[in-house]
Amino acid sequence: MDTLLYPLEWVVANIVVIWHQIWTFIGLDPTAGITWALAIVGLVVTIRAALIPLFVKQIKASRAMQLIAPDLKKVQDKYKGKKDQASREAMSRETMELYSKHKTNPFASCLPMLIQAPIFFALFRVLNYNLGGDAGPIGLLSQDLIDQAANATFFGAHLNETFFNSEGMSAKIVSAVLIIAMVATTFLTQHQLTRKNLPASALEGPMAQQQKILMYALPFIFVITGPNFPVGVLIYWTTTNIWTFGQQFYVIRNNPTPGSEAERQHKERLAAKAARKAARRGEDPNAVVIEQAPAIEDESKRSGQRQQPKRKNRGGSKPQALPADDTKDES
Amino acid sequence: MTVAGRALTGAIRGYQLVVSPLTGPRCKYHPTCSHFAVEAIQVHGAFVGTGLATWRVLRCNPWSNGGVDDVPAKGERLFRLTRNNAAMLNQSTSARLT
Repeated sequence: MDTLLYPLEWVVANIVVIWHQIWTFIGLDPTAGITWALAIVGLVVTIRAALIPLFVKQIKASRAMQLIAPDLKKVQDKYKGKKDQASREAMSRETMELYSKHKTNPFASCLPMLIQAPIFFALFRVLNYNLGGDAGPIGLLSQDLIDQAANATFFGAHLNETFFNSEGMSAKIVSAVLIIAMVATTFLTQHQLTRKNLPASALEGPMAQQQKILMYALPFIFVITGPNFPVGVLIYWTTTNIWTFGQQFYVIRNNPTPGSEAERQHKERLAAKAARKAARRGEDPNAVVIEQAPAIEDESKRSGQRQQPKRKNRGGSKPQALPADDTKDES
Repeated sequence: MTVAGRALTGAIRGYQLVVSPLTGPRCKYHPTCSHFAVEAIQVHGAFVGTGLATWRVLRCNPWSNGGVDDVPAKGERLFRLTRNNAAMLNQSTSARLT
């Protein structure tokens, strides 16, 4: 375990030190706890930014979902009302085959999550054994910096102190606040996902019930385990959660799962936008230039797709322009 | 099943009951990676089964297209770069069904 995680610990320690130097360069006090706390936030930003390509790839892979909606509907109709295991399995099989055939997939795969687990352990170990214990320097994290970080206090708490293993009240209070923040952000992320981005079919049945129970039980698990985490780890976890929440918010808003509440809202927004666009065009053709970018995007989506008339929200009013009109307006 | 197989299957079941519901559906394949792992261990034993499952989890990434990917039957070629089901919708190659 030691040797296996060492390279990752080395990388994590270096990123934290580099961020510490960046913050110091900007003008923060290098010995202050806030600087070290922000260095950990910087670590989150670095890791999550590095994972953005995975995220973008996933978004792109789910783009074509709308195009296969009719085929998907066919599969769903075929197995409508059939609740037995064999039918469910066959339906899932055909659905997945359909996704694969069209090279689209609404699911994120577990890789982005799996990659982050070892990083988390590495940070945990750096904070516990390099900063807190006597594992000594690692990478750019020299003994001087270790001493500096170990003496730095963040609202009176040392970064390697835990709720249980700390002296004085301030570390306990900071720890408790961070645990609450961690629980709240985890819960909100989970809540956002289940309430908005799951199709109605996924919200009923024993699986959904269990999910609901777990969603409310999870905070208690964190309340039990959280007091054993160093303040630095709690900062990392909370920041990661906030990032995840924001990212999920973006996905749900722009790429909702078909059949979910979020998709309904997304369609409403698109319809409202189209209506606004039409109204504006009726009054002032020059204003259309602002809409240029979305119009181009629509055009590319439209290309060569027979299913286009299916989209109800762009029917409606007469000024609903074809791409040819768009170019005329804009030129 | 051996003790190792039982232990691994139990751990995967635990994951399916506790962790998986929290993340929502996210596997790109059918059967999902965890179901695949259980089946692989049942059919091929703990050692080869774990290898197959690991390979499957690695293939389940943002660059793959997902789809139907069954556990290869005994005697079939075990490790493939792509799926173990050449888009045969009705013709299941699932080891469980043979």
